[in-house]
This record gives sequence, C-alpha cells and structure tokens, in this order.
Amino acid sequence: MMTGLAIGLVLGVTVWWILIQRLRDKPWERQGVIEGSQDGLTSSAPKVGLWVFMAMVTSLFLIFNGAYVMRMGFGHGELMGWVPVDEPGILWLNTFVLVAASGAMQTATGAVRKGDLSALRTWFTAGGVLSVVFLAGQLLAWQQLAATGQYGVSNPAYTFFILLTAIHGLHLVGGLVVLGRTAARVWRGLDTENVVAVGKIGQTVRLCTTYWHFLLLVWLGLFTQLSIS
Amino acid sequence: MAYVAIADRDHHLHDPDTFITKYIWSQDHKVIAIQYGVVAIGVGLVALALSLLMRLQIGFPDVFTFLTPYNYYQYVTTHGMIMVIYLLTALFLGGFGNYLIPLMCGARDMVFPYMNMLSFWVYLLSVIVLIASFFVPGGATGAGWTLYPPQAILEGTPGADWGILLMLVSLAIFIVAFTMGGLNYVTTVLQARCRGMTLMRMPLSVWGIFVATILGLLAFPALFVAAIMMVLDRMIGTSFFMPALLSLGETTATTGGSPILFQHLFWFFGHPEVYIVALPAFGIVSDLLSTHARKNIFGYRMMIWAIVAIGALSFVVWAHHMYVSGMNPYFGFFFATTTLIIAVPTAIKVYNWVLTLWRGDIHLNLPMLWAIGFIFTFIHGGLTGLFLGNVTVDLPLSDTYFVVGHFHMVMGVSPVMVLFGAIYHWFPKITGRMANDALGKIHFWMTFLGTYAIYLPMHYIGILGMPRRYYDYGQTDFIPESALGVNQGITIAAIVVATAQLIFLINVAWSLWKGKHADSNPWRATTLEWQTPDTPPKHGNWGPKLPEVYRWAYDYSVPGDDADFIPQNHPIQPGEESLRVAGESRK
Repeated sequence: MMTGLAIGLVLGVTVWWILIQRLRDKPWERQGVIEGSQDGLTSSAPKVGLWVFMAMVTSLFLIFNGAYVMRMGFGHGELMGWVPVDEPGILWLNTFVLVAASGAMQTATGAVRKGDLSALRTWFTAGGVLSVVFLAGQLLAWQQLAATGQYGVSNPAYTFFILLTAIHGLHLVGGLVVLGRTAARVWRGLDTENVVAVGKIGQTVRLCTTYWHFLLLVWLGLFTQLSIS
Repeated sequence: MAYVAIADRDHHLHDPDTFITKYIWSQDHKVIAIQYGVVAIGVGLVALALSLLMRLQIGFPDVFTFLTPYNYYQYVTTHGMIMVIYLLTALFLGGFGNYLIPLMCGARDMVFPYMNMLSFWVYLLSVIVLIASFFVPGGATGAGWTLYPPQAILEGTPGADWGILLMLVSLAIFIVAFTMGGLNYVTTVLQARCRGMTLMRMPLSVWGIFVATILGLLAFPALFVAAIMMVLDRMIGTSFFMPALLSLGETTATTGGSPILFQHLFWFFGHPEVYIVALPAFGIVSDLLSTHARKNIFGYRMMIWAIVAIGALSFVVWAHHMYVSGMNPYFGFFFATTTLIIAVPTAIKVYNWVLTLWRGDIHLNLPMLWAIGFIFTFIHGGLTGLFLGNVTVDLPLSDTYFVVGHFHMVMGVSPVMVLFGAIYHWFPKITGRMANDALGKIHFWMTFLGTYAIYLPMHYIGILGMPRRYYDYGQTDFIPESALGVNQGITIAAIVVATAQLIFLINVAWSLWKGKHADSNPWRATTLEWQTPDTPPKHGNWGPKLPEVYRWAYDYSVPGDDADFIPQNHPIQPGEESLRVAGESRK
C-alpha cells in the first residue's frame, strides 16, 4: 500500500511538473505559427500509445496492490480467513527466465540499431521462447500449489496469488501475440530491401522491448508483494 | 516531427470504398462518433423508460400492479448504470471525443483508426450483454447501481443468478472498449495536432475530453478489479468481498471477505467517473458560451488549470460516498476536506463562465440556451454537494431523496444540458443541415423547467427524511400525506420531460430530412472544425492540405477587426499586433 502510494505520489509530482512547464503559455499574446508546436513530444504515435497503455496497466496493478493489502487486514489477516501461501521455489527460476527474456529483447533492439538482421532473428525469437517458458513455469507453480492441497478457494491469499499471476500472464500473452506477428515478419521479410518495412519492424521490436521490461518490473513488484503474504 | 509523419500518411490512410467499410466497419472517426452517439442515445432511451416505470410506482403506488418490487429494483439498477456509463461516458468520450478531437486538433483521423473501430463494436457488445440480462432466468440484477456485495450476489436479490454476472461482464467489456478508445483520444491529442496547434491553443472542449480520458484510463481499472473479484466470489466461491454469513438459514462457505473493500474499489472508480462525465461537459460548455456570446472565454489558462486540478483532486475524494459505511473519523475529516477543496477550481470555472457572458453579445440560440441552462443546474447541484461533502450533514441526508436530487441535478441534468447544447451546436457540421429552432426551443424549455419540477421537490422531501430506494412507503408517521402528493407531482413532471425528449427525436428526424441547409460555419466560430472544406467533412477531413494554426481558439470580437471572429487558421494580418496591444491596454 505504502509503495503504491509512493509510486502514485512520484508519478503525480512528475505529471504536475511537466504540466507546469506547458501551461505557462499565454496563447492570446503569441501569434503566428509556433515552430515545434508538438511540444517536444516528437516520438511516434505507437510509442506514446504504448506508454499511455502502460500507465493504465500500472494503475490496474497498483489498485490490485491496494486491494491485496486491504484484504490482508493490515496484520489481522488470520481473523479474515487469510492463510499465507508458501510460494513455490520455482518462482525464482521463473523470475530468472523472465529477466533473461527481457535481456534477449534488449539485445534484439541492439541488433536493430546495428542493422544486424540475423542477430535480430535469433534474439527476438529467443525473447518469445523464454516468455513462453516463463508462462509454463507459472502454470507449474499453480500446479504445485494446488497439489499441496493446503489452500482452498476461500483463502484470499491463495486466490489472489492465482488471480494476480493470471492477470500478469494475460498481459504477457497479449505481448506475445504482437511478438509472434512481428517475429513472423522478421523471418519472412528480412531479405527485402524495403527500408520502410524494416524501419517499421524495428519500431515494433523496440516497443516490444519496452513492454517486456515493463512487464518484468510489474512481475518483480508482484513477486515481492506475493512474498510478503 | 510527428505531425509531418501523420500528415504525410494521407496515402496510407484507409480508404473506404464500399458501403460496409464506409458506414459499418468504418474506421473514420466521424462515422464511429455517430455510431457511438446513436447507440448511446438508444440505450439512454431505454434507461429513460425505466425511470418512468420507477416514477409511476413511486407516484402512484398500488395503481400499476405489474410493477413488482422485484422489477422496481431491476429498473433502479439498470437505469443508473446505463445513464452513468453506457450513455454519458460513451456519448461524451466515444461520441463527441471521437468527432471533435481530430477535427479540432486539425488531424485527418485518430492515430489508431482500426482500434477505434474495434472500440465501438466492443462497446456495442457490452450494451448487448447488458440488455440481454433482462432476458435471462431471474432477469437483470436489482442490486442498485453500486452493486454492493454481499447482497448483490446473494439469493433473494433480483438477478442474483445471471443478472449480476452479465452486468459485471458487460462492465468489463465496456472497460476494454473504453481503453481502446481512450488510448486513441490521448495519443491523438498528444501526437496528431496540426502545425501551430500548441496544447495551449486547443479549444477547451478538447482539453476537457483529454483530461477526462486520462481519468478514465486510470480509474476504470478499479471497476475492472472489483468486477473480476466479484465474478470470482459469485462463480467459484472466493472470499474477496464475501464475509462469513448466514444466507437463508445456511452458513456460506465464505470467510472474512470485506464488503467495504468493494466499496473502496467501486468509489475509487466511481468518483473520478463523475468527472469523466463532467470535464468534457465543462470544456464543451465553455466553447458554446464563448462562441454564442461572441467573446473570448474568460480566463482560458485558469480554465485549463481548473480542469487539471479537478481531475487530480477527483482521485482523493472517493470515500465521501462511504460516510455512512463507517470509517475512522480522521478519514472522514480528510475526505470532507478534499471534497470541499474541489469546490475551489469548480467555482473558478463557474465564475469564468458567468464573466464570459458579462457584457457579451449574447445570442440566445439553441446551443446557448442549453449552455446557460447548464450554469443554472450545475450551480444548484454543486451547492447541495457542499452540504453532502460534510460528514455530519451527510449522515442524516445520505439515504434520502436529498441525495437523489443532488446527484441528478449535478451529474444527470447538467451534463445532459451540455449534451443537448452540443448536439444542436454541431448538428449543422455533422449533418449539413440546421436543426429546427422552434422545436428545439420547446424541447429546451420543457426539459429545463421540467427537470426543476422533478428535482427541486426531491431536496425538500429528502430533508423531511423520505428514504430513497424504497418501493412503497406504506403507512408511516414521519412522512406526511403532502409528501406523497409531491411525489405524484414529480412523476407527472417526469412524464412531461420524457415527452419533451420525443420532440427532440422528431426534431432530429425532421431536420435530417427537411432541415435548412447549413453553410460550413453557421455560428461564425473560430475553431478548426468549422473551417473544413466540406460540410459534413469528407473522409480525411481537410482535403489535400492540413490546416495551419496561427492563433488561439477564442479570437471573438477582436478590437479593430471587421468580422467579429477570426478563425484559428487565419494568418496574422499586417498591423494586427498593434491593434491587439491597443485592445489589451484598453482592458
């Protein structure tokens, strides 16, 4: 909860500061075409769209975080049916795999910058495969928890665990759809000399990388949160 | 530069050539806006009919025997949910947001047209799921629009089997639709403005819609979380919200769930939702007042600050909806304080609207009537909000008709006033024809006076202590006979107001068919949407060349200029600067 509040506060102050910079203009005095009227936000629309989307997903997980802490009962959880979940050790392995996936994506972006298309092929695909491995690992963690037979659906610590990992996984699946389509294009269309197409693929790879780093951060936050149950 | 990229993309722009791609699976923001508008108004009429059924029961209990308590609560619930989410949110953001953002910013379309199209169809799906809940076993949910657990999902509540599930699923689908639309609105405002259109030159309509969309993107997840967790409580028996309890004599398997947690989640969405509806209304009404008073908006910069401040504050007031749920008194104090602080930026806006009218050249045409009507209803609704923001005043009034009067005035009637003003204002641009003036004025006066006849007496019977949500009052000592008479009067006024909306529909149909042809800028307005080469604007909006913007959106009655308005895309004339300086010093 406090982390959530702190993150919210930092975000709020940042947005506030940016706004102060922009809202000082006196539009009734300044006339004519103002050059650079895009206010320095010269990045591309898909990039801005992705960042706005990530802001929304951040809000989603912060709200889940708040609900989680409230349902924990602020230290009185045992009165409210809260039986702490013993996280399966495989989650550490999964975390490592997701870090590796993120690293592979970063390397793929580097390959785009260098124009090294075969490296792009390898690392981009590796990022996708590692993410699938991560998801499989999460499913395994579910299975291990269920196999203990200690946790029932009326235990919110357990249901939160399943729900939050599921929501995070679904976001990753959404990313994998984009990644899969882009990977298909990378494998098919690399020998073309079409600069526009290559540029577009490069942009998608960069956006995928950003999204993967973001989901890694979300997972690290989530893992921490689930561990303090 | 980003805008060059968008502008140059003309040949990449999807090019509709068949009837289906043009009007059904359309990616054109104007068509999507109309689709959103038609569906939202259609489902809003359903909600209007439901409210009439409720009023018939309250005004004339025992007369309409087909209205059972079971139905009554279903009507209450669906009426509230439709009006707030499926009508107001969808029409302001999906409808006007879609239509106005690209046109007012000088863009050819939204930046993600395909996602924009999906947004509408997913929205339509959510509406279909919602309406379908009336036709499943047990019917629609009757949990009240706030859907509080545990009662919402327990046996005995109308629609506890299927209705509640369909409602929650429909909300989740709506949120997906809103996300797709919202990403478009925000990114288009940030990325696709034409050359010269700085953020601080945008019309306030765009500002209102922009900030409201950001609020929506951050607040709707709370409703999403609440909906998912309640579905799980209902479907597989989790205990997120469900405490251990006795239901119909049997102990449930749930333990320790927190109903208050749901309330926090619901209102963390619910309060920003008020401003998701109100901020676009604030923005649009500012433009209507300025245009039809032929005066620049008073305090443009302060208006934007106020919009941003209200948006930020709206996230820290949610628990004022929960005073009667019981909370730490310090929390009550905190939330009462933040709530009252919102009155400051809101009052700034109201003063600025009134000062915009001050010594203006007021044209009392249709959009202006609705805009001025809004100032009245909003001040009344806002003032009663100050009462209810205080914990001690809220406690006795919270479950009475005072609250019904308050929120209908402030977030029902007021935004609807702006919606009608906006529809009459942009009707010539959207359709190429003028709306009928006489019919519109009848519509306005019946609605304006009629809503006062409905909601003012509600404050009175609320202070008397008349509880809201009741199906029938029976014999009680504290409710005098006269209060029941007042209720009859309210019901009759409601029927009159509903009839007035038929006049609106007739007006739209008649004007579409026979209305006077509109020229491209009938209101002599400055903003870009009135400067398009074609009316209604064709696909791509601007012909071969994007507009360029040289000035802000409010150059009305500029001293020394012959016309009383200068469009935003009108280049600076020689000598204009000195005139402007002279005008400044004259102030």
